[in-house]
Amino acid sequence: MNSLLFLVPIALGLAAVFLILFLRAARDGQFDDLDDPPLRILMDDDDGPA
Amino acid sequence: MEGESDAFCCAGCEAAYAIIRGAGLERYYREREAFAPRPEPMPGGWDAVPLAAGADGTCSVRLSIDGLRCASCVWVTEGVLRRMRGVAEATVSYATGRATLRWDPATVRLSELADRIASLGYRPRVLGEEGRPDRDLLLRLGVAAFAAVNVMMFSAALYAGWTAGMEARFAALFRWMSLALATPVVAWSAAPFFAGAWSGLRNRALHMDVPIALAIVILYAQGWWATLRGGDTYLDSLTMLVALLLAGRLMETRGRRRAAEAAVTLAATLPPTARRLVDARVETVSSERLRPGDRIVVSAGDEVPADGVAVEGRASVRMALLTGESAPVEVSAGGRVWAATVVVDGSLTVDVTEAADDTVVRRMAEELRSAADRGSRPSSTDRIAPWFTSATLAIACGTFVAWTRLGDPGAALSATIAVLVVACPCALALSRPLAAAAGLGAVARRGLLFRSADALLELAVVDQVVLDKTGTVTAGAFEVVSARDADLRVAAGLERHSRHPVAAAVVREAAAREIPLPSASEVVEVAGVGISGLVDGVCWSLRSGGPDALLLEGPDGYAGLLRLGDNLRHDSGEAVRRLRELGVEVTLLTGDRERVANRIARATGIDDVRAAAGPEEKAAMIRALRARGRRVLFAGDGLNDGPALAAADVAVAMGTGSATSILVADGVLAGGSLLPLVTGIQASKACRSAIRRNQARSVGYNIVAVGAAALGWVNPLVAAVLMPLSSAMVVWGSSRVEAEVRRREGGA
Repeated sequence: MNSLLFLVPIALGLAAVFLILFLRAARDGQFDDLDDPPLRILMDDDDGPA
Repeated sequence: MEGESDAFCCAGCEAAYAIIRGAGLERYYREREAFAPRPEPMPGGWDAVPLAAGADGTCSVRLSIDGLRCASCVWVTEGVLRRMRGVAEATVSYATGRATLRWDPATVRLSELADRIASLGYRPRVLGEEGRPDRDLLLRLGVAAFAAVNVMMFSAALYAGWTAGMEARFAALFRWMSLALATPVVAWSAAPFFAGAWSGLRNRALHMDVPIALAIVILYAQGWWATLRGGDTYLDSLTMLVALLLAGRLMETRGRRRAAEAAVTLAATLPPTARRLVDARVETVSSERLRPGDRIVVSAGDEVPADGVAVEGRASVRMALLTGESAPVEVSAGGRVWAATVVVDGSLTVDVTEAADDTVVRRMAEELRSAADRGSRPSSTDRIAPWFTSATLAIACGTFVAWTRLGDPGAALSATIAVLVVACPCALALSRPLAAAAGLGAVARRGLLFRSADALLELAVVDQVVLDKTGTVTAGAFEVVSARDADLRVAAGLERHSRHPVAAAVVREAAAREIPLPSASEVVEVAGVGISGLVDGVCWSLRSGGPDALLLEGPDGYAGLLRLGDNLRHDSGEAVRRLRELGVEVTLLTGDRERVANRIARATGIDDVRAAAGPEEKAAMIRALRARGRRVLFAGDGLNDGPALAAADVAVAMGTGSATSILVADGVLAGGSLLPLVTGIQASKACRSAIRRNQARSVGYNIVAVGAAALGWVNPLVAAVLMPLSSAMVVWGSSRVEAEVRRREGGA
């Protein structure tokens, strides 16, 4: 059972990494606009998005 | 080419049209003249715009771009901007009409970028600072959801420990871990509820946030108390509850942010410059500087910069912006013109009567803006909240007193806490946003896009539908209603040389009847009079024979008559009939003449017709209907319908209508048919009953749960099962909205 004492923090730490990734993505605005990206697929552009 | 309508969805398509139809270039340039070239932004003003400086020496700014009507507009704008030297990034959002630009200030200036956008035919404008509340909510939700799932893991272990046994040090570890995870949820994620509760209390209103904030505080305080004493906590319920509530709130604000952005986009539509006559000399001044009494000149292609009276000249002016009627109106000396209308042909000298903010179009825009700010109406949930809160507090007090009287102070405290915990109105707070979101989705799939749930729910009680004629009941273009083939052939031969919308209708009809167009020579068009020329070597003239007829005259005088009319949408009649079946009265309201209005009313089966109503009269009539206790839905398509849209209980714009009407309306009919209105009303009723069911269920749950808690039967495990269960009930109730809408559609 003692293994819990370090497994629990490891699990929490791992979850925290994903939380931080999500928060960064949200803060960068990746979830701001959920309507345009699907339209953008339809635009054949040689440049691609900047 | 000649048969095409002369209105493009956007400047991008217009440009593409010119490229593809290389042979039609000449025609394209003639068309261009008829479109008001969009005014250039004020030079000088652009370089004073505050910019955000990036670390790599680049500047960035967010602009609003007017006139984006389709995805190709986005493609054109982005492509052109990216090819400019010094531009590092150019992203245009179609959904919001926003552009993000990043560029090197040493290579290119913002004014050059703005000019480039303007030269494409779109109108760039600088935006003020815009808040991003829903990014903030999303972050809070992320933290709350993270905490909720992890606390639940610990809690599951603790509950398992009740039967299987658990070492005290692990139990303590798990409780402290839970507490550590719950702390940021309470301190940060739940902050909007505390802020809402506080502002509610300050305004002496017990709305939904008050009991929620109360429950959060009590749960958290109990968490500390129990953790220090080694007892059981409700922290799993607490975190889950905050996450669920934030998710519900996020769904609501996403829709509301759209509406707010649309309000910001409402621009004053005056052209920036005017040509003023001073001592027989023409000078260019800002439209804002015009004063009543100034004399200005406008010619073909101009937007009129101020309201005024024509003193000289003759022109056809497209007043669709104000009247909604697509046919240009002939204006000569003594006639009135209004700001933001477009001169199609000829030229005028105008004495300014109202300028800048006093112009009709500006006052209209102001009315639209205040309409967009009208905010959300108090919901039925907010009405339940006060008595809900007071009842909960009363029961909690009663529980405490009763248990103390029974001589068990320890049980008194735990039972009271349990009452306050299970009374948390999580399910009640979710009952409306979830059902409304389901309803919005259901009507959107049927071609009616609503901006806010409030407006959708309002649809259920609508008992009066007022329809604009042009562009709403009709498709908004002219068509030839009756004409003999021989007359049509000659008329089309002449009209192919004209860019008047009526001419396009004549040519289109000839093409539809597969009549080969004769060639015409020596064609002379006189604005406001007619067109004449040689066809088959004979001199013909075609002139206006009243508002909806064209007279064809040959060498021997009168030769024939072409009758014109609006073309009716094919399913308008059915839509009217089905609205009637729902017990809704239908009125036709138009700025057009009585005779035309009556023809359309007969064709669709509408009895009640109000014709020749201007924008203000339309709004006044809707206000009068509302004063008589009617709940009014107005559907229209022009900026001239703006005041009426703002005055109605529910405003619906046509997807094919002017951008401004779409922005100001609560909803948009995407498919160019009125039938989705019928479904919308049915869906709204389904939605309302789902909300009522949800509220009944969640209140029922609360009564049972609070009763059990007052008797001391509730412990943290029971609460952790009961509370999500009540929310699940609400989710299930909401998910049935779509099925209910289908059932009602089938039944109708």
